[in-house]
Amino acid sequence: MVTSPRASDGPAPKADPAARLRASNRRIALTLAAIAAVFFVGIIASKLVGDPRIGIGVLGGAVLLYLLVAIGRNLRDRR
Amino acid sequence: MSTIAHDHPAGLGDHHAHDDHAHHPSGITRWLTTTNHKDIGTMYLWFSFAMFLVGGTMAMIIRAELFQPGLQIVDPEFFNSMTTLHGLIMVFGAIMPAAVGFANWQIPLMIGAPDMAFARMNNWSFWLLPPAAILLVTSLFVPGGAASGGWTMYPPLTIQAGMGMDLTIFAVHILGASSIMGSINIITTILNLRAPGMTLMRMPLFCWTWLITAYLLIAVMPVLAGAVTMLLTDRHFGTTFFNAAGGGDPVLFQHVFWFFGHPEVYIIILPAFGIVSQIIPTFARKPLFGYASMVYATAGIAILSFIVWAHHMFTTGMPTAGILFFMYATMLIAVPTGVKVFNWLATMWRGSMTFETPMLFAIGFLFLFTLGGFTGLVLSIMPVDVQAQDTYYVVAHFHYVMVAGSLFAFFGGAYYWIPKWSGTMYNETLAKVHFWSSLISFNVTFFPMHFLGLAGMPRRIPDYAQQFADWNMIASIGAFWFGASQLLFLYSMVQCARGKGEKAPARPWDGATTLEWTLPSPAPYHTFETPPAVK
Repeated sequence: MVTSPRASDGPAPKADPAARLRASNRRIALTLAAIAAVFFVGIIASKLVGDPRIGIGVLGGAVLLYLLVAIGRNLRDRR
Repeated sequence: MSTIAHDHPAGLGDHHAHDDHAHHPSGITRWLTTTNHKDIGTMYLWFSFAMFLVGGTMAMIIRAELFQPGLQIVDPEFFNSMTTLHGLIMVFGAIMPAAVGFANWQIPLMIGAPDMAFARMNNWSFWLLPPAAILLVTSLFVPGGAASGGWTMYPPLTIQAGMGMDLTIFAVHILGASSIMGSINIITTILNLRAPGMTLMRMPLFCWTWLITAYLLIAVMPVLAGAVTMLLTDRHFGTTFFNAAGGGDPVLFQHVFWFFGHPEVYIIILPAFGIVSQIIPTFARKPLFGYASMVYATAGIAILSFIVWAHHMFTTGMPTAGILFFMYATMLIAVPTGVKVFNWLATMWRGSMTFETPMLFAIGFLFLFTLGGFTGLVLSIMPVDVQAQDTYYVVAHFHYVMVAGSLFAFFGGAYYWIPKWSGTMYNETLAKVHFWSSLISFNVTFFPMHFLGLAGMPRRIPDYAQQFADWNMIASIGAFWFGASQLLFLYSMVQCARGKGEKAPARPWDGATTLEWTLPSPAPYHTFETPPAVK
């Protein structure tokens, strides 16, 4: 980790950059983990619910959309 | 390169001197409990090389059996297990962990981060690998033997296989979990831990290729995990996802597998592209030509890789419109790949080139990967593919991509960065012998396979007709030679790890401009705790 507040520091104030960074790290990780979980459950559910061709088509579209959004955001990011 | 490190904050040098004596546990405890990205990178790289030797031994068994026609060394069932485990171990145990090892070592150093974003999860990601490897290898010793239906695990064969298949499925689950955790870590590190001034479009290309690879892994690994989970429930819980006898569809598994499997090829090759994109500018002493177009080409390859999967399945039968779509989409990938090859050549054009071993491996990669890409283009043409399907032409094609592509780039990367990792220069003469020996023996092994495939020799068979004997014997000789050549690499790396050799300066390559070369060699245990200034 970049910096970790010492134990004696007590609860970090809201503006603490290290705490904000940790929260941002957690947010990214949880978002990506949730996407992975949706794809895992989705590929199984697509065979169980209704016409598998539609289910798999929707999941494939979601995967492509995720990639376009994820990579596209980074390509546009000038920071 | 587009990133240039400027002056360090005052006192950074003193800090590094202190870091040389960084406190950490010693012995096995250090390696079990480490959260340091350099330690974990080192473990990934040694693990992947160990698995490379295991998978390579299996390849030697395969080539020994194919040395001449007839059954002479192993029985056909064991031969099939060897081809299956060779593929699984090389893809999941050797190449992917090697790429993650490079990422662990290099990404924090290249973006000026002190470590990976989730250091403990990083440790866990690595330590999931040995149990998975043990499951794969020990599956050889369970009743019914190891999985033998090919690394693609197609049903119905895999639904009927013995207990070894269950171990393989669990191994794939564990490897997938490890890959997803590693990817989350890499994405978070790159997005949140870059040094001030290190914008995304200033990052070394290796970091870009890994960022995109990590996104790909998060998209495809759950799909593979889902597919093998359905396989598992078909085997043991009475479901019929892929069992035609119960109304399931075995071909659906192929669709789902290749939806994972084709992007997997790019997951393996994109980090290699990144490594080559670091090496060529260094030894051409010129900035990388067309940096932005390289980034966009990488993104283009990644996205296109998701809409071409069915070119692996032209012979399963599909509508003409589908065939045409997958054929043309596959051909389209040649465009961004061509952009990359053009940019690497343009980087070398009129550069002050020298040919140290990393550069030799990068140029070897360039020639042979292009050849592998070209045979891929040939296979994308449906009428040709129908003829070459499941022949040695396909084996030749993907070994030109996987071995001469990824593996050569990884060798180049190891020679390029080992001075920074170990503080010791490798033996240049020995390394050049390794390169030339690998290059020649690789072609002796795999080039004849094009002829064998075009003549109609099917893959995954332990015996063959007499007319294939000569080229098979040559390929086997080349394979033994290639395998033996890798012992030179092992010796070189062990010597560097033991500090036997010339001491490496901080920047052994005068054309190297990325942040890691501003650090002393070997890189201190803790680096960039104060972010460097990047302008």
